Amino acid sequence: MPNSRRQFLGAGLSAAVAGSAISCGASNGASPWRFFTAEEGRTVDAICDRIIPADRDPGAKEARAVNYIDLQLTRPFKRYRKAYREGIAAVDAASRKKFGGRFVELPAGQQTEVLADIEKSSAAFFELILAHTRQGFYGDPRHGGNRNRVSWKMLGVPFPPIRGLERYDQPKVG
Amino acid sequence: MKKILLISALLIAALVLLAPGATFYYETGGGRRCTSCHEMQEVYDQWHSSPHRGVGCEKCHGWALTLEMSFHLNNAERAWTHLRGDLPERVRFPHRYVQAIQEPCQSCHRQEFASWQAGPHSATYTRIFLDKKHNTGNMPMDDCLRCHGAFFESGIGDLVSPVSRTGPWRLVPAELANMPSMPCLTCHQMHRQGPPLRKTDVAGRVPGPSQEITRPSLAFFDRRTQQYIPLQDLPLPVMLEGTRAVKMSPDRRQALCYQCHAPVANMQVASGDDRTGLGVHEGISCLACHAQHGEQTRASCASCHPKMSNCGLDVEKMDTTFKSTDSQHNIHWVKCAGCHTKGVPKKKERIS
Repeated sequence: MPNSRRQFLGAGLSAAVAGSAISCGASNGASPWRFFTAEEGRTVDAICDRIIPADRDPGAKEARAVNYIDLQLTRPFKRYRKAYREGIAAVDAASRKKFGGRFVELPAGQQTEVLADIEKSSAAFFELILAHTRQGFYGDPRHGGNRNRVSWKMLGVPFPPIRGLERYDQPKVG
Repeated sequence: MKKILLISALLIAALVLLAPGATFYYETGGGRRCTSCHEMQEVYDQWHSSPHRGVGCEKCHGWALTLEMSFHLNNAERAWTHLRGDLPERVRFPHRYVQAIQEPCQSCHRQEFASWQAGPHSATYTRIFLDKKHNTGNMPMDDCLRCHGAFFESGIGDLVSPVSRTGPWRLVPAELANMPSMPCLTCHQMHRQGPPLRKTDVAGRVPGPSQEITRPSLAFFDRRTQQYIPLQDLPLPVMLEGTRAVKMSPDRRQALCYQCHAPVANMQVASGDDRTGLGVHEGISCLACHAQHGEQTRASCASCHPKMSNCGLDVEKMDTTFKSTDSQHNIHWVKCAGCHTKGVPKKKERIS
């Protein structure tokens, strides 16, 4: 019986450790993103920053448009995963070919030049990330972008609106 | 046969211990291990830079060694959701937990909790959604949930039945009947940045330069965006009496009040649920009269009257109804002419 008890406790401990290990295995390792690798995330962030750069108001980087794109790629944008993977690789390839370095390592002016090339050579991807950057910048913060409602503040959109209801103003029923 | 029984018992034991084992693993380490799931990183960071950073996760989220099976099953369900890659847009607190968190709030903030419990903001779902007078005048609608039941995870049709003005009405989730419809988390954001706070001292409780005006947790839970809007980002409206802009108190805390006690689109004082001070009380903050958690007001009259009264009357004995918006004596917008219908007499010189 002592032997059985030991086995029982051992199995319980193993289960606990196994549970932890399973859950640890579910983590996405070194990448802070859900879909992107760490490098891809940096590249997309830099592209978004060039599409809507900050001026006196925050831009797409501050609005965390990349977070919106990454989050939605695990949800309704799943169908664009391949397009992103290939598009990001194309951006880096174009960057290396033109300036001999990765896109994120280039100064802003050169990044803009690379994107101007991509707009012609990978028009579909450029249109895609352009649309998604706009959505991430102007959309509802609940979808992952527009952090701290930065674009709404820029536009002067009063949020949340102050709108009450008329009360006890309806004719009696019955 | 004996071997089969032993293996079965071991398998069952392993399964039973799997969930609490994993929970125990995650709960040790101050929540750091939870961030191995990407979606937890933001809430973890917010908590560990919040005024409540010294409070362990388990205080609100439960402790691994509980025998409550639903706790472990919920965690297992979350792990399964994560493993499937079915990530939520936002990590949010389920409605049932919002209700349960009242208890840990109460354990430290006893005075505030007791005051809230005695006041109108602790109104239950029954009181709010089964009010015959209200429901016969105004159909229950999704917009009600903007302030009452802001954390309820579905629409009005899943809360009240029938959605009509004829009734009789009942709550669809009957277990909500005695639950507060405006719990602490409606106006207080827990996961937000701010320095660790100390308990307000005596100087902070009385009017003066050291008086504590706001706490960093003050925020409005916006149901539409599923986000908290911090107090400093909430708009203070420009209220109107006809075309005249009404003098407003600069007290920022009122921005929180205006989210629910709001005028209709023409921004007229006393329209909709607005109770902006007008007449003799114009320019006074809501919080000058209403207690922060209990909303009680009666005792507040004595802080200004009779020393600031123009007529020397005992205002606490006056008819200052607040329920009838038609009354000229309504405390929110009573004017001198409301009582002195034949003209306001000149102020008498005080004889000292």
